[in-house]
Amino acid sequence: MEALRIEGLKKKFGETEVIRELSFSVPEHSVFGFIGKNGAGKTTTMKMILGLLKPDAGKIQVFGESVSYGETKTNRFTGYLPDVPEFYSYMTASEYLRLCGEIAGLASGEIRRRSAELLELVGLTDNKKRVGGYSRGMKQRLGIAQALLGNPRLLICDEPTSALDPVGRKEILDILFKLKGRTTVIFSTHILTDVERICDRVGVLSEGRIVLSGEMEALKKQYAQDKVMMEFPKEKQEEVLAVLKAQHLEPLHTEVVEPSLEKLFLEVI
Amino acid sequence: MNNNFDLLVEYFPVLLPVIAVELTLAITALVHVIRHPHYKFGNKVVWIFVVLFIQFIGPIVYFLFGRGEE
Amino acid sequence: MRGMTAFLKKEFCEMIRTYKILILGSVFFLLGVIGPLTAKYMPEIMEQFLPQGMTLALEAPKALDSWMQFFKNVPQMGLIIVVIVFSGMMASEWSKGTLVLVLTKGLARRSVIMAKFLTATLLWSGAYWLCFGISYGYTRFFWDERTPRLGAAAAFVWLFGVMLIAVTLLGGVLFRGSYTVLLFTGFLVVMMFIINILPSAQKYNPIMLVSSSMELLEGIKRIEDFMAPTLITGGLLIASLIGSAAIFDKKQL
Repeated sequence: MEALRIEGLKKKFGETEVIRELSFSVPEHSVFGFIGKNGAGKTTTMKMILGLLKPDAGKIQVFGESVSYGETKTNRFTGYLPDVPEFYSYMTASEYLRLCGEIAGLASGEIRRRSAELLELVGLTDNKKRVGGYSRGMKQRLGIAQALLGNPRLLICDEPTSALDPVGRKEILDILFKLKGRTTVIFSTHILTDVERICDRVGVLSEGRIVLSGEMEALKKQYAQDKVMMEFPKEKQEEVLAVLKAQHLEPLHTEVVEPSLEKLFLEVI
Repeated sequence: MNNNFDLLVEYFPVLLPVIAVELTLAITALVHVIRHPHYKFGNKVVWIFVVLFIQFIGPIVYFLFGRGEE
Repeated sequence: MRGMTAFLKKEFCEMIRTYKILILGSVFFLLGVIGPLTAKYMPEIMEQFLPQGMTLALEAPKALDSWMQFFKNVPQMGLIIVVIVFSGMMASEWSKGTLVLVLTKGLARRSVIMAKFLTATLLWSGAYWLCFGISYGYTRFFWDERTPRLGAAAAFVWLFGVMLIAVTLLGGVLFRGSYTVLLFTGFLVVMMFIINILPSAQKYNPIMLVSSSMELLEGIKRIEDFMAPTLITGGLLIASLIGSAAIFDKKQL
């Protein structure tokens, strides 16, 4: 079953064609990385999937049902996390989730149970603070909680990690990773390491078109280079080189691996 | 002057509700000014003076225009 | 319907926690008290400030003087505060983009408009009739005389207020900034005053509902004279609501 199918989608803002002839589909239960530069049209595409913007041409289907602009029924399948989720600053996290649950038509007991579960999942349990005092990362986490509240079959996340520090990014990615297999996730970003970490399919958007798409594994194979990288502990370096030499295997290129700044950052804090 | 004071004493019962509302407003605004030190414009000292000394209008102007986001 | 109830609760929570109810409550409380007090004590107070030996021939105040204060203060101060308070109703949602999430959760766009209109109308009604009740209580206490056609005069002012709320909501849907919304409503009221220069238009002009209250109380105008402006005000109110809903339906978020 296809969670999402887009055919021949077009969208102009004034004279600028943001999306031209966009077509792709996302199978159910996959984690789809929607990659593109800033301004490539990722947010526009997502808003069209949610019926918030009106496409100039083309068809969008969510689980086989067509999306209509305005109030679309297909939104009952989807959860949406905008790039900068904004909440009513005078509410607490659980009050906000209650509002969302009541709008979505969940029963009161269900809302209480799901809210508790989700606040636990995103690490905002027992937070009595009003959302106005939240940091960017906390808002992002509350954003995930509200997106997952109605047990969506399709989760659409717009740049969920871009604005966060490495710790926040890792937390969000971990949460998304936990959903793998249960919920279909579409996840837009320009941070490629994030995609590699959790996605099994990718689509690369450039100038309003998909220029590369497919399964992560297949793509990697297709574009694979015949190179191998091995890591050995430093003290074995001489030994390894000696063995290679004895076998008459000359490496083309050797380099000392430096720790990545991200690893360092995560270690010291 | 004495006359004015007598007048005030005479009218005190009718003025009491007005004074009560005035004080409620001023105190609510004062608490808010002190606990949320982010304003659309102005600073803490200015707002404390405004809400305490400009009766009625001060607190209302603060809540309508000066109060920042939480 | 469920979504509407939930959103109504959110609106009331917003009104309480952003101090809107406190503002409206205290302003209208004050307006209710100040009319009768001014009417009753102004002559005495003025005498206190006059130089010794001078006397001022002032008529003894009557209940009508108190109502004159009411029908001057409420349309001026009161309605301005109401419009200022509710001009941010849509603007705060636009500027922060908070509607995106609740709408994708399946909230009908119409429910947003209806909930906001209902909340504002309820608050205005509560504050206004509280103000009227206080003014009535003090006036009866001071003079103990009945004022004919008072209820009708008060109801006309109330209806004008509801219409201003609907217009402000329409402004909020059309424009994104709260100051633009203020200008929009202000412009409409100024237009009504300008139209009032034409004698032939006066008897249809909605502004009559707030500008001719004293003429009604004094018997210069009859209730029937208010029918045409009332109908036009009602029409304006309904048109603004339908317009708001229709335009909001088409808005891209």
